This record gives sequence, C-alpha cells and structure tokens, in this order.
Amino acid sequence: MASSQKRITKELAEVLGNPPEGIAVNLVDEGNVHNWNIVMDGPEGSPYEGGKFKLLLVLPTDYPFKPPKISFKTRIWHPNVTFDEHGSMCIGILKPEAWKPSSKIMSVLTATQNLLAEPVPDDAVETSAAEKFKNDRPLFNREAREYTRKYAK
Amino acid sequence: MDTPSQPDSLLSRGSHLSDPSQAYTFHTDLDNLSGGTTETALGASISSIHKISTLNLRHTVDLRAITYGGTVDENLVCPICRCPFVDPVLTDCDHVFCRACIDDALSHGELCPVDRLPLSQATIARAPKMVFNQLDALKAKCPCCGNIFARAILENHLEKYCLEAMVRCPGSLSEQGCTQVVKRRLSTQQCLHYPAQCPDCYETLEQIEMESHRQTLCRDRTKLCDYCEVEILRCEEIEHKAECPDVLQICKWAQYGCQHESKRRDLYLHADDCHFKSIGPMAEMLKVEISSLRDDVRNLTETNQLQERRIKFLESGQRASDRPMDLMDLSLASMPEAASTDSLDSGHDYLLSLLETQQSRLSHLSAELSDFQGKNTMMLFNETLPIKNELAELRSTQQVTCMHVRWLMRFRMQENQRRFGVSPGLASTGGPDGGNGFGSDITLSRRLSDSSRDVITKL
Repeated sequence: MASSQKRITKELAEVLGNPPEGIAVNLVDEGNVHNWNIVMDGPEGSPYEGGKFKLLLVLPTDYPFKPPKISFKTRIWHPNVTFDEHGSMCIGILKPEAWKPSSKIMSVLTATQNLLAEPVPDDAVETSAAEKFKNDRPLFNREAREYTRKYAK
Repeated sequence: MDTPSQPDSLLSRGSHLSDPSQAYTFHTDLDNLSGGTTETALGASISSIHKISTLNLRHTVDLRAITYGGTVDENLVCPICRCPFVDPVLTDCDHVFCRACIDDALSHGELCPVDRLPLSQATIARAPKMVFNQLDALKAKCPCCGNIFARAILENHLEKYCLEAMVRCPGSLSEQGCTQVVKRRLSTQQCLHYPAQCPDCYETLEQIEMESHRQTLCRDRTKLCDYCEVEILRCEEIEHKAECPDVLQICKWAQYGCQHESKRRDLYLHADDCHFKSIGPMAEMLKVEISSLRDDVRNLTETNQLQERRIKFLESGQRASDRPMDLMDLSLASMPEAASTDSLDSGHDYLLSLLETQQSRLSHLSAELSDFQGKNTMMLFNETLPIKNELAELRSTQQVTCMHVRWLMRFRMQENQRRFGVSPGLASTGGPDGGNGFGSDITLSRRLSDSSRDVITKL
C-alpha cells in the first residue's frame, strides 16, 4: 500500500514537472493520489483536433502490479472507446495479460494520445464506429468531428 | 527507562514524500544505550561529538523517501518502485529489482515485471557488487540537516554527527534521568526539559521550546510600538524602530545648524520650509570639494618633495664630477651627504637618490674616459709621424752609400788587377815594391775607412 503510494507520488511529480504536450493532469481529490483527472487535447490532423477530452485515470491499490484503468468522461466517437457514459477504453498496454509493472503512467498517457490519432479498428469496442472507420473513412471523420464539436468544446 | 511517546508519534506518522523529516526514524531502546556507552569509553578523549555519543540513538533511513542530489542514473532505478535500488537482486532474465519490490511482484504472479517471462524466487540472486557500490556512492540529502552525503554513510551520519538529528537529552545521564530526545545541536547544553515562564505571556512551558514559542506561538509575543501604536513582534522591535513612521527624527541639515525635529512621516513637510534647504546642498557640495582639494594638495606636496630631492642629488653629482677624481672622492661619492640624509624620510628614497648619484657619476666617468682615449690617440699619431719620415730618409741615404762603397770596391779591385796583372811574379814573390804597393793600399784603405766612417756617422 505504502510502496504503491510512493511510486504513484513519484510518477505524479514526474508528469506534473514535465507534462507531455497536450496533456494536463491534476488530482481529483488532493488527499488521494489514486484518482487523476486528465485533460487531453485532440491530436492535430485527427477529427478530434480542437477538442478537449476529459479522462479519469484510476490507479489500483496494488499498482504497479495491477494496471491502471482509464476512461473517457467526455463522449468520443472512436472505435476503441465505448460511446456511452462509461467511455471505457481498450488499449493494449493496459490489458491485464499485457501489463508490466515496469510501465509508467507517462507511457500510458502518450499511448492514449496515439490511440486518438490512430484508432485500431481490429481491437474495437465500438463496433459501428470501427465499421465506418474501415469502410467509409470520410463519413467517420465527419461524424467524429461533429461529436467533438458537440461534446468536447 | 521508558520509551517516550514522542518517537512513537514520529514512527506512526505516514511516510509522505513532501515531508523529508519522515524519511528516517529513530529508536530509543535500551540495547542502544549500552552500545553507546562502550563507544564513549573508546573515544571520549577524541572529540566532543564522541563525548556525547552516549546520547546517540539508532536511526533507520527509508532510502525510498530521501531526496537524491542531481539526477540518478535510470539504470540504478528500480522499475517497480521507481526509486534507486534498495538491496538489489538479479533475476535469471538479467533484470535488477529491489528485494522488497520483486517479493511483492512475485506474490501477484510469477512473471518478470519487465519482460513477463516466468520467474520464481529460486532463480533470484543478489545483484553484483558493482551495483551495490554504485548505489552506495549516490548523493543523498540528509533528511535532517539537508546536506549531501554518499547514501552508504547517511545512517552513520544521522546516528553520530548530524546536528539536526535527534539524540537522547543530556539530562538522561544525570540523576533526573530525563527520557526526552533533543536535536544534537542542543545536546551539548544542559537538559532543557525544565519548566520556564515565557516573559511575554507568562505561560509556563519547557525551556527547549521557548525559542520557537516566542517566535510563532506566543499570544502575547506582540507588543504595541511605543511611537506608532502598531502591533509588532517583540523580537523585531529594533528593526521596526528603524523604520517606524512615528519615531522622532532630526532634520537632515541638522549638522549645518537646523534645530528642527519631527516624526519621520512629517519630515518631508519640513524639508520644504527648512531654512537650510538651499544652504544644505551647497554646504554638502563644498565639503566634498574641499576634501578633494585637500587630497590634491597633499599629492602635489609629496610630488614636489620628491622632485626637490632629485634635483639636489643631481646637483651634488655634478659637483662631484667637476672635482678631480681621486680615491677619496670616490669613497665620498658612495655615500650621499649627511645633510641630505636628514631630509630623506624613507630608506627607499635614500637608496633611490644613492642610485641616481652613482648613475650620474658613472656617465661622467665614461664621457671623460672616451675623451682621454681620443686625446691619447691623436698625440701618439702626431709623435710617430716625423719619426717615420726620418726613418724613410735614412734608409734611402744608406742605400746610396752602399752603392758608393760597391763602386769604390770594384774600382779598387780593377786597379789592383791592372797593377798585379802586368807583373804577376812580383805580386806572388813579394819585394821592396810590395812594400810600396802595400803603402798605397794603406792610403786607399785609410780613405776607404774615412768614407766608411762618414757613412757610419751619417747613419
């Protein structure tokens, strides 16, 4: 418990001291280092450009032995994110069978940013979005831009 | 001896990174006291630090909570706790972790936390000595005094040397048997755990806390300023007085005669009406001017003195070179006149003037020497010239004489040949005529000898 807190504190200091471009981090509650609020800018050149997406990062008590959970609080039209109030995201490095305790939160955040720029339709959770992404890219981009304007402004 | 409550509270406090004071804990058990006593017996005479080593407590440093100086090499950071390794171990897949971290990780699943290869406790070995050495050399900040030390000696520093670290109160050695702890800084004094009264609020508290109490906690630590009636900290009274707007101050032209005196805040009003307001700046300016002039005069006097001295020595040097040079004069010259010595205020000047005199003398001497040389050369030339001429004349005369002699000799020989060639028998046998011939020979030789005598005298 204590050791996980120490590591989280260290990683928080690292992210706050040297934040990745387009990502802002703060704690949900100052007394609890396990829940992080993240605001991520939509990557340039993607249909999410110009949007500001709120995410919640939850670090389990046995972090780093168990992976953190990350979810979108802002609705987003994306093949790898459920288009509902949960906003659950599916990303490779956070799967329990792929998670490594040596992975850092910083790399989780940049991986999320990359996922926005380049969706992985073969690993989709929002199948209708994945279908459109694969078969009718212009339509998908138009819809994604529309939802970005609607929810992420 | 009972374990006091204070260390317990320190131990129980959660380890939070933002507060470095929790990076270490200390233990007040009886075993340590006996250990400390033997230490005292060994090193009591060495230093005062050792003298109070009976008071030392055992400190445990949480190496994950301390701050490190500079950036730590990423290769020395555990991938699990993200801190420099503590008791590092090596897996058979060549990864290094802290012992505690890998134990934790294995309890969650027998996989390597880096490459997810199967891993078991049995295949884990102590990390190479080199890793330990590198870790020991890491620059760690002391959680108490903030100084930087090698990580390996940090615990020893806290236990024996750090002035901010906690030690047993010196009172524990006396009859009262004080069980408190104090900072080592204060352990050279007596036990400060006795009740005392705060001079401000009359509250009774332990003497050891008095300083911090009076600075921050004391309710009556403030007092009203005697002049401006603003609340100030008692300990900052002097600083406040230097800038209090209600303190009486004299006019800034007071030294030129202004008698005015008013509160600091009203002084600017007086500045406009002050009778000295136009004189003051002028007086100030004149003062500066005069002092600079005085400096100039002093400088000029000094230069003047120096020049005078120089002239005097140059003159005396001139006089000396006018006089005929003899040994007495030279011996005198090596020493400037006694009269002028009085005026020399330093040995330095004396030597300088001595040098100048000698120099001028030397130049005189060399000039005279070259003069003499020129004169001598001319004289020699003039004298040898007529001698040379005479010599040449004599040589020619001698040659002429030689020719004469040779001519005469030949003439004489021819004469003789003619005479003896007619009667050679007479000449060979001799006779009365021979006497005649001999006599004529004598006259000839006499003549010859006369001419030769002439030649000799001429030569």
